[in-house]
Amino acid sequence: MAVTPSDVTVPGALEAVTGPSVGPRSRLRSGLGLWIPAGLVALIFFLCFVWPLIGPVGSPTGGNILEANLPIGSAGHVLGTDQVGNDEWARLLYGGRASLEIALAVNALGIVVGGLLGALAAYLGDWRDAVIMRVLDVFIAFPALVLAIAIAEGLGPSEVHTIWALSFFSVPAFARLARAETLRIRELNFIAAAGLSGTGPVRTLVRHVMPNIVPQLMTFALLGMGIIIVLEGALSFLGLGVPPPAPSWGNMISAGESVLSVTPRFVFIPSIALFVTVVSFNLLGDALRSRWSQR
Amino acid sequence: MSSTSAPLSAPLAARAGRASRLAGSPTLRFILRRVLAAIPVLFGVTLLTFVVMNSLPGDAAQELLGASATPAEVHELSVKLGLDKPFVTRYWDWLHGLVTGHLGHSLASGQSVASILASDLPVTFELILYAFLLSLVIAVPMAILSARRPGGIFDRISMVFSMSGLSIAPYVLALLLIWVFAVKLGVLPAIGWVPPDQGLGQNIRSLTLPAVSIALPLLCFYARLLRADLIEQLQSEDYVVTARAKGAGPWAVLLRHTLRNSAFGLITVIALNFGTLLGTTVIIEDIFGLPGIGHELLTAISNRDTPVVEGAVLVFAVVVVMSNLVADLLYSALDPRVRYGSNPK
Amino acid sequence: MIDAIRLRRLALVAACLFVVAAFVSACGSSSSKSSSATSSATATSSTSSAPTGAPKAGGSLTVLEEAGYSGAWPAGLDPATNTNGAADQDQMNAIYGQLFQLGAGGHVTPDLATSATPKNGGKTWVITLQPNLKFSDGTPLNGQAVVFNWKRDLASSCTCKPILPPVTSITAPTPSSVQITMAAPDGAFQNQSLVANLTWIASPTALKKLGAQQFKITPVGAGPFTVVSDTLSNTLVLKKNPNYWQAGHPYLDNLTFKATADDETALETLEAGGAQAYNGMATPSLVSTYKSHFTTTEQPATSPYDIQLNTAAPPFNNKNARLAIYYATDAAVIDQKLFGDQFQVVQGFTAPGGLFYYPNVPGYPTYDLAKAKQLVKSLGGLNVNFFTLASPVNQNFMEALQTLWKEAGINASIHLYSLAGLIQAFDTKTWQAALQTAGAWDPAAGVGLAFRFLSTSPFSGVKDPKLDALILGAQAAVNPSTRDTLYQQAAQYIAKNADGPFLFPLASWNVAAHNVQGPGLTTVIPSIVVNTAPLWQDVSYTQ
Repeated sequence: MAVTPSDVTVPGALEAVTGPSVGPRSRLRSGLGLWIPAGLVALIFFLCFVWPLIGPVGSPTGGNILEANLPIGSAGHVLGTDQVGNDEWARLLYGGRASLEIALAVNALGIVVGGLLGALAAYLGDWRDAVIMRVLDVFIAFPALVLAIAIAEGLGPSEVHTIWALSFFSVPAFARLARAETLRIRELNFIAAAGLSGTGPVRTLVRHVMPNIVPQLMTFALLGMGIIIVLEGALSFLGLGVPPPAPSWGNMISAGESVLSVTPRFVFIPSIALFVTVVSFNLLGDALRSRWSQR
Repeated sequence: MSSTSAPLSAPLAARAGRASRLAGSPTLRFILRRVLAAIPVLFGVTLLTFVVMNSLPGDAAQELLGASATPAEVHELSVKLGLDKPFVTRYWDWLHGLVTGHLGHSLASGQSVASILASDLPVTFELILYAFLLSLVIAVPMAILSARRPGGIFDRISMVFSMSGLSIAPYVLALLLIWVFAVKLGVLPAIGWVPPDQGLGQNIRSLTLPAVSIALPLLCFYARLLRADLIEQLQSEDYVVTARAKGAGPWAVLLRHTLRNSAFGLITVIALNFGTLLGTTVIIEDIFGLPGIGHELLTAISNRDTPVVEGAVLVFAVVVVMSNLVADLLYSALDPRVRYGSNPK
Repeated sequence: MIDAIRLRRLALVAACLFVVAAFVSACGSSSSKSSSATSSATATSSTSSAPTGAPKAGGSLTVLEEAGYSGAWPAGLDPATNTNGAADQDQMNAIYGQLFQLGAGGHVTPDLATSATPKNGGKTWVITLQPNLKFSDGTPLNGQAVVFNWKRDLASSCTCKPILPPVTSITAPTPSSVQITMAAPDGAFQNQSLVANLTWIASPTALKKLGAQQFKITPVGAGPFTVVSDTLSNTLVLKKNPNYWQAGHPYLDNLTFKATADDETALETLEAGGAQAYNGMATPSLVSTYKSHFTTTEQPATSPYDIQLNTAAPPFNNKNARLAIYYATDAAVIDQKLFGDQFQVVQGFTAPGGLFYYPNVPGYPTYDLAKAKQLVKSLGGLNVNFFTLASPVNQNFMEALQTLWKEAGINASIHLYSLAGLIQAFDTKTWQAALQTAGAWDPAAGVGLAFRFLSTSPFSGVKDPKLDALILGAQAAVNPSTRDTLYQQAAQYIAKNADGPFLFPLASWNVAAHNVQGPGLTTVIPSIVVNTAPLWQDVSYTQ
């Protein structure tokens, strides 16, 4: 609904989403600039995916209603409980897992399916390019909202269905981006050489084209992670997305909105977690980008 | 994979070339081809919408009458609304109406879809345009100041700011904005839409908080994008080096050359954004009580009011197709190597 | 130097987080601080500082209505076709007035009509109108106009019409009276009509002149206000009807209804001065915040939540399974934990705010966890598919019930459906349990009782002719004490057969700025179905 990673088809911008990089001092700085956000991202993944399995984390659902609305710092509930007694810390971790799964899956689908489609379209050119892009245009032009609601009402809201709904939207977007990038590098010598030497189009695509465009696709996937997580929350606001009582950061924020003035922490806690995650992912993306463009 | 270096005269040469190319036929042919190609796209969109609406459980009669209707009552109303006719007949009727210039009537209120769109679309379009304007007015200076001194204090602060903007939920932002500006400061209204003919000042005031709610993530994205592009050009473009060597000050270089080149890229992004943004406005319109098309579409879907959904989707699709066309045109104009989507081998 | 830059960046991030944190929690705590100061002073009363000054004529009032319910009028405002009529009663009452209205103390009082007399044991009703009434367009509101309206209302496929026995005739025996005759007696006719389309009389002349399509957008009635402009489900602008039958009324010059997204948004809108009243605030945890800024009046609730059990399909065709649900449901703790003990736990389909209310139903299986566990064990376990209409309140409700039942060994999977999904779930005939509301101010009004318990209803879990006879007999009887006895017997019958437990009705609050007053807005009037209907002709600003 908001900006998508693919919306950028500007040459030059793709190369340097990060700051300047000149000199030996910057190499050291960019070393730290890579490992600190990488460490944060790893920590987030650990907390959301691994820690609940091995550590003392309660259940995010099925809380005791007698323990409803406990404040932060209560015994046994370090972040308090929600309106029906579920532990907020557990909900934060499990919710992070759901949100990250959605964001990763949507981006992965976008890069793989959309990226291949767009690269293929650009590589083949002519009418095949036109047909593929027009079909994708139908999905771009079709309001994502209608599709999301349809999937939720027709198939029932779930995490998987949310991924499908958002992918309908990200795949064409990545396709446009991949196509633009492919058009640019298509004329480069080694690509043409591969074609002349008899390598089939698919092989050329996978072997030569994709590795050169995936970095740009990755950058925008990272930039878009926060946007997708917020988008899933917006869908929850409309009754779609991950269905309660299962938590996601998005649906925790949307559920907390209705009591924002009374217990702001319901909105606040997942929002901070989301902010830290978005910052980490983007700093990581910046660092990776500057690494790559130094090559 | 850096962008091509070009001499200082490259932008001027490109402009001259562009002018002659526009006057010539390839551009027009391209536009014509894309417009013709748009027709099956629009057809596909409306058909897809009909299929989707038809496959949703329940129908307009059930949704209108609510949970307290007997099956007999629902059936009676659905016959009255023509919902008992087969799918193909209904789609064909709608298509036929479209071609003759009629968009049908709402199943819920009986109002003509055209009049519904005519009263709702201006609200949403004005809101989106206002949001775009706001985002650009803030993003461009922010990016320029950041690019002027990368790594400086302003750059760092704006980076944190744009990260927050990219991760804040718009409806939470809306509530916070209402709290600050409508409740505490009392300078802007919390709800309601004032049409322009009842006072332009009031009209703009009634849209300001909603526009800011939408604009924040946009401006963060644009600012980061523009900053990156500016920095890249300042460092690697030969014409920049040349201009500096000739004694042009850093501001002059920024404003006169790099910004103009980067602007094309930004406009491209905005054009692509326009269609996707129409969906974001739904929640914002709800919170601020704006009678726009986003809210109308959401209500129509839950009421299974297919004619209204079709009408709204059609307008969305036309806007998206047109903006993508403009974006592609601008992109081709920007990069001479990429011409009109296909390259004769 | 390098570390310092990194650290500075991280410090900036942390600082911003703290700033935002401080900001938001300041917002939250400032409202809760002030509310705790005033709520202790008003803890005993359900209203707070209702103005009692003399009414001042003039002024413009903007009223908020919740977008999902009373703030939606997608089908327009024609009584014959407004499928949302009962929800939109505020808008309809303001434009059309009513034949009769529910006033203070839960008494039916005259408005456009002066009396309703049953005849033939309740098969015939004669309604007498005020003499010389006129619609706002100057045409007469007489018996013929009402006949025209009622015939039109009952012929339309709209759930806004009352559930009556088959109607055999509608006539106007005198110029200012209407007579309706039905095939069977209906003692509840007058009460049923309070929130059904029969009570709103449209101007036949205006209908003909504007055409039905335009009329539903800009209707003409005989109520205290006339329509200036109407944006469906968004804004309805009304102004004072200069030809209103009651001299000196309405007090207000302008009345505007606006749709608001939810209670949190409405709070901010009211605080910003974007509106001065809100009908139907339903979030109990926001009550103290509202009370600290506005006159907030709890309206008596009349439709209790109940758990419908399908007695025609497993597992609840077994009475022990049904009893297990009764014994495992601790309504009091849900009321306490989810709703701050604001509501009254009941054992039948009537509630404190409505007619025929009795707090205790003899034979009602009350909460008893030990008995529940024992029954579940004897059944060899109990799995339940439990569903309801999706809403944030229902979400919490369902989760709470799910965990409570778990303690007794009952495994419930909960589903929250949209309307279409809900209908589908009932259609399957093998549905098991549903969370619904039952009853109304008069149990025969609306559809709450009939739909839940009559054997003829496709959404009922009970097919019992004896219960049918009790419920239908209670509607038919003209004598109120006969009705009372029959409804009591029905409630006891339901309890004896364990057809489904009752929980408590959810009340809502009406909110007004401190200088606004009016019956039903700042004073208590029972809600007929869901929301209370303020009497707009008597709403005013105070001196």
